[in-house]
Amino acid sequence: MESEYERLRKKVENYPSASAYNRLAELARLNADDGEAERVCQRCIKEFPRNGQAYVILGEISLSRGRKDNALAQLLNAVERDARSYAGHRMLAEVYAAEQQFAKSLHHLRQILVFKPGDAQVTAKIDEMTAKAGNSPAPAPARKPSTNTFRGNTGNMSAVAITPGGVPILTAKAASAPGSRTASLQALCSENGVRGAVVADNQGRVVVAQGAVDQQADLLAALAADLTAAASETLTALGHNQLASWIIEFDKGQILAFRRDAVLTLAILADTGVRAALLELRARQVLIDLGVA
Amino acid sequence: MQDILDKLNRVRGVGGSLVISPDGLPMITALRQGTDETATSATLGNLLGAAQRLGEQLGLGGTKSLQTIASAGGLLILPAGPAFLAILMDPTANLALLQLEARPFAERLAQRLSL
Repeated sequence: MESEYERLRKKVENYPSASAYNRLAELARLNADDGEAERVCQRCIKEFPRNGQAYVILGEISLSRGRKDNALAQLLNAVERDARSYAGHRMLAEVYAAEQQFAKSLHHLRQILVFKPGDAQVTAKIDEMTAKAGNSPAPAPARKPSTNTFRGNTGNMSAVAITPGGVPILTAKAASAPGSRTASLQALCSENGVRGAVVADNQGRVVVAQGAVDQQADLLAALAADLTAAASETLTALGHNQLASWIIEFDKGQILAFRRDAVLTLAILADTGVRAALLELRARQVLIDLGVA
Repeated sequence: MQDILDKLNRVRGVGGSLVISPDGLPMITALRQGTDETATSATLGNLLGAAQRLGEQLGLGGTKSLQTIASAGGLLILPAGPAFLAILMDPTANLALLQLEARPFAERLAQRLSL
């Protein structure tokens, strides 16, 4: 085991690749050296930020240490970067099931069937979770449309509209509802230097807004959607697709925007100097929460 | 000024660069073969226009930098005097390092363009 580990370590030094890093981290775990595995994963993430497997390993390590919240964050990072991460979705399903959050558990199991249809283990697990979910209090049907037309951001929590992309539009008032899916947006806006944030759809309509942008929410949503369209067009012209984020630093502040499923844009208005990497983690959580039924 | 872009293209993670006017006209380009520089410049001009509108209407002032990240690369735009330097990033680019390394190039271009 030691020699295999050394061989791989040298390979990573000379010819770094995401898969070599992953294997090295797994070997370190087999050697019961979680600290080294963690260091390898952190290095891998730095060099290959889109490698989801490193986050899965970090999630495993956190779980083994009993740090469920941290594990959850790492695993969500994993599936955000690699939507086809079998291990990521399976572990998330297990974590949510242990927390009695069967709807979320089912969501991740069903994600697996999208890229691995007919997986017997997953199908059996879905049946098990469905039975358990049926015996637990039913969660509010968040995606159930009350109308197919946009009602703006002046309605109340019961007025949930659906965008053409199938994403429920919550109201600004809903953002202050405790325990709602916008709790992570509130957490984001409480970060130092964050003035406010708005989630907009591709048509520039406000899905939800929070913080000091309330008065400017419509304007920010419209302009953010405009910029998202321009950025997508530019990247397409360069042969890239799937715009993930854009950041503009101005003289008197900055706007950071993060995308989800090519449907929603979360635009954050922040002071100059606020670290984008920190906000990105919070922003991804906001978008995940908004997308989970 | 072409030599500045050629040197910039040798920085790790840079997949091409160009200098454009604020309205999207190409001034100097060092792009990979097969990249349509006119179309690229035009869409970049459109992007800069959208950024400028955002800054003006929200009272945030002028654009100091703009970056976009996609699944297979990205783009970093920095002011270079009266123009803008646009850098095409490969997926392997270290964004933080690239931002540090790119600024002196933008400053050198700004000096040359101001002469």
